[in-house]
Amino acid sequence: MAKQEPKIGVYICRCGCDIEGNISATVDVEKVKEAAASINGVKVAEVYEYVCSNPGQQMIRDGIKEQGLNRIVVAACSPRMHLETFKRNVNQEGLNPYLLEIANIREQCSWIHDDKKLATFKAVDLVGRAVERARNLKPLEEKKVKVNRDALVIGGGIAGINASVELADKGYQVYLVEKGPSIGGHMAQLGKTFPTLDCSSCVITPKMVYVAQHPLIKIFSLSEVTKVDGSPGNFKITIKKRPRYVDASKCTACGECSKKCPVTAKSEFEVGLGSRKAIYQPFRQAVPSAYSIDKVNCLYFTKGVCKVCQKFCKANAVDFMQQEETVELNVGAIVVSTGYEVLDPQGVKQYSYGLNPDIVTHLQFERLLVQGLRRPSTGEQPKKIAFILCVGSRMNETAVENDYCEYCCNIGCMNAIKEAYVFQKEVPDAEPWVFYTDIRAHGKGYEEFYARLRNHGVRFIRGRAAEVMPYNGHLRVRAADTLLGMPIEEDFDMVVLSSGLVPSPGTDNVARMIGIHTGSDGFILERHHKLRPVDTQREGVYACGCALGPKDIRETITESMAVASQVATFLGKGEVPVSAEVAMVDEKKCNGCEECLKICPARAVEKIPSTFRTRMEINPMSCIGCGICVPICPTGAIDLNHSSEEQLMAQVRGVEMKEDVSPKIVAFIEKNTAYASADLAGQTRAHYGPNIRIISVPSTGRVGFKHLLQAFVAGADGVVFVEGEDSSFTGEKLREHVTRLKKDLQAVGVESLRLVSTTITIPQYPKLVDTFEVFTNRVSKIGPLSPKVRSEVGEKLKKLEAGESK
Amino acid sequence: MNQQQILPRPKHAITSEMMDKSFLADVIKMRGGQNVLDCIQCGVCAGSCHASWAMDFTPMQIVRMLHLGMKEKVLSSSTIWICASCYTCATRCPRGIDIPLLMSALKNMAIKEKFPAKIPVKPRFHKTFADIVQKYGRIHEPELFLKITNKTDFKGMMQNAKLGWTLLRKGKLKMKAPKVNKKDQWSTLFKNIAKEEGV
Repeated sequence: MAKQEPKIGVYICRCGCDIEGNISATVDVEKVKEAAASINGVKVAEVYEYVCSNPGQQMIRDGIKEQGLNRIVVAACSPRMHLETFKRNVNQEGLNPYLLEIANIREQCSWIHDDKKLATFKAVDLVGRAVERARNLKPLEEKKVKVNRDALVIGGGIAGINASVELADKGYQVYLVEKGPSIGGHMAQLGKTFPTLDCSSCVITPKMVYVAQHPLIKIFSLSEVTKVDGSPGNFKITIKKRPRYVDASKCTACGECSKKCPVTAKSEFEVGLGSRKAIYQPFRQAVPSAYSIDKVNCLYFTKGVCKVCQKFCKANAVDFMQQEETVELNVGAIVVSTGYEVLDPQGVKQYSYGLNPDIVTHLQFERLLVQGLRRPSTGEQPKKIAFILCVGSRMNETAVENDYCEYCCNIGCMNAIKEAYVFQKEVPDAEPWVFYTDIRAHGKGYEEFYARLRNHGVRFIRGRAAEVMPYNGHLRVRAADTLLGMPIEEDFDMVVLSSGLVPSPGTDNVARMIGIHTGSDGFILERHHKLRPVDTQREGVYACGCALGPKDIRETITESMAVASQVATFLGKGEVPVSAEVAMVDEKKCNGCEECLKICPARAVEKIPSTFRTRMEINPMSCIGCGICVPICPTGAIDLNHSSEEQLMAQVRGVEMKEDVSPKIVAFIEKNTAYASADLAGQTRAHYGPNIRIISVPSTGRVGFKHLLQAFVAGADGVVFVEGEDSSFTGEKLREHVTRLKKDLQAVGVESLRLVSTTITIPQYPKLVDTFEVFTNRVSKIGPLSPKVRSEVGEKLKKLEAGESK
Repeated sequence: MNQQQILPRPKHAITSEMMDKSFLADVIKMRGGQNVLDCIQCGVCAGSCHASWAMDFTPMQIVRMLHLGMKEKVLSSSTIWICASCYTCATRCPRGIDIPLLMSALKNMAIKEKFPAKIPVKPRFHKTFADIVQKYGRIHEPELFLKITNKTDFKGMMQNAKLGWTLLRKGKLKMKAPKVNKKDQWSTLFKNIAKEEGV
């Protein structure tokens, strides 16, 4: 079909009755029709009131049927309006929907210009350009790929547990990977939860047991994901399983071994405030319910003697010969729920954490409350406790401390209030003081809880504590009551630091392995803050709980349920569509330089090792079709479907501005966000000059040096790049790209000022109009490109193209 | 007759007349100025300040007044003159605001805009200090002490005599004028700064 002589049909829409029409009021459609008909290859050129209406669609179908048209150009409104309508329409007649092109002569022409003559010229140009592109269009097929119906959940805290339960209950096989010896996470460590004060472990333990007994959930404890390959729907996972040295299937968790073990170590579960043996269970309700040997402390592994546990184990479960295992899994989707860690408050030096055992973090205090509250230093019951909030939180990069969080920890206020309350319940004449910066009681029932506690004898001091000094067996806290502007100083038995929450140490590694992004705070970045809060940048990979940012249990549960729903939606269909608009590597041309591998934002490029020559391949499942890799390829081996080199070049070549507008500017606009913004500019009838010619591209990274040269040869005096702010090609990447292009332009004698770039969001269309205006002014100051430079640019372009064809 | 009756404005209310619109921007921009808009009013500076008992406003309140642009109150406060530049607040500030530097910036502004200092000796102290450094290239304590005290009060001088004697006995006070190399470069430095600051 590609070799078939193109027979192009151009259908021009008035968008209303004759003169009054949305388009025909400012554009002389008859003239456009004449001009279109005169273009080589155009068989049919028609004008109709509403091409999108049924008779209009029928007209196109008739054209295909009767005239044998094989390319259709519709000059009408924005493709964002009716592209799908027209695609369906031509498909009905058996024409491949990718052979349709839309020239946007409403939002980009009739709605933004008043001058009928110039608007008509521009419309002619837009249609001409669409025809040039249509001539080069190729039919494409959308494929569908079967997906694996299993899911992997990384991290066995409450987020991972609940996501697994939800997914398994929906009928999906779930693999739950946990790095520790037991699932449960931080929630298992907590005593009571705010604001209802129900017991945390009483809530989570049944869930843990449910997970352990669920036929569709397989727990990998003491395991870590080491490799993620494949594509969304068909991931290949490698898991490293560390030896437990106890056969979990035989172990009855009787605890006999632990009683006999001669080695004691600090308990991680008790956050250093208790001890355990070298063979241990983190807590009694641990799942899997089996003991494990800590290799670092065990006498057998350090000194080669002992084996006492083996002797006393009645079930014969202890096995010192266990080896590390590697497990390979195939899954369709991945859920990241790696959770958080408590920030080490030693970085905030004025609070003396680590210098006195009575200064503890909120998680340690939680364990103390469960153990039965005693001062770690003396073992007495504390009477007076200071709760210091925002420790290490809400700092900024200029603060002196090394370890800090810029964000609010979200749970510190409520947690401290709850702990103060439990403290009051435990100790009859307790005196809790809360030193706060701002109380953030944002959840359901939180403000009421805070109000209740204010009436309950908890002393709230508005002021971040300035320092904590161990003094005469007490802890002296100095602060300012900022509401009075007066200093305040008091001695306490204990100090509890509400330290910030940071992403757990493996988060960054996991993210890099899977190919998803983390934000500047180190937490996983969601696809969209509002609309896709549990999706990551990569299809088929989701995140929930504190891996996305600090949050309370209720919100974590909400997210884990949302994640289960998203995964079910993704896997439930059984197959995923693969976009046809993806990049392809020409095997013969590829020299394996890995430039594309480095720049790809979606990790779609895969290295195919071979003894003869390493080459790259692009996975169409992962490819997001941004086209950044196309200009970056030094051998020109990559091309992008539906925005191929020849299509784009033809489109740029079509911008021959015959009419007398100056300066002539070509705007390369990213096709989703930025294009929508330009549409909005049209819809609100914002005005910008008819000298601006918009070409939509998958991303501005798609535009290479060649296209720029072609634009200048075709008569442009300046080029604008407009990128959507939510695309994968913003910030540093865009800046680098533009800087490189500017340098190249200067080398051929074109001023670097003739190229600008900007990023916008959809509602920011005034910025777009502004950019156009400012740039127009700038280019008119520089003046049009001199004919001499233009011819030089032309020669350079010819050379480039000649070099490529070789 | 349609005019609504409202209660009179409280006498001590902060009004827009007290707020200088450009003041905040000026402070942020000037040499030593800090981006005080970063402040979250947590009160660590106020709690840390060892001289706050003598101040009329705590450092935190000064920053708050900067937010509102209350130029008059800030520049005529004693806080900016009492600040001992011990840097306790600055090392603890979670937002990294260099408060002592901010205070000295405000001092400079107060002098330039001719606001009477609440602690009259302080501006003269700074001036004398700078003069002596310009003269010798290094501070000379006895001269500084004499120049400050004999102009203000004889009583204060007598009160400090004992301390002076102790320092002298321990060799902490050098009666001889200090010497540095390339002293001429100092005067150039001072001249350039004076030119830049427009003093």
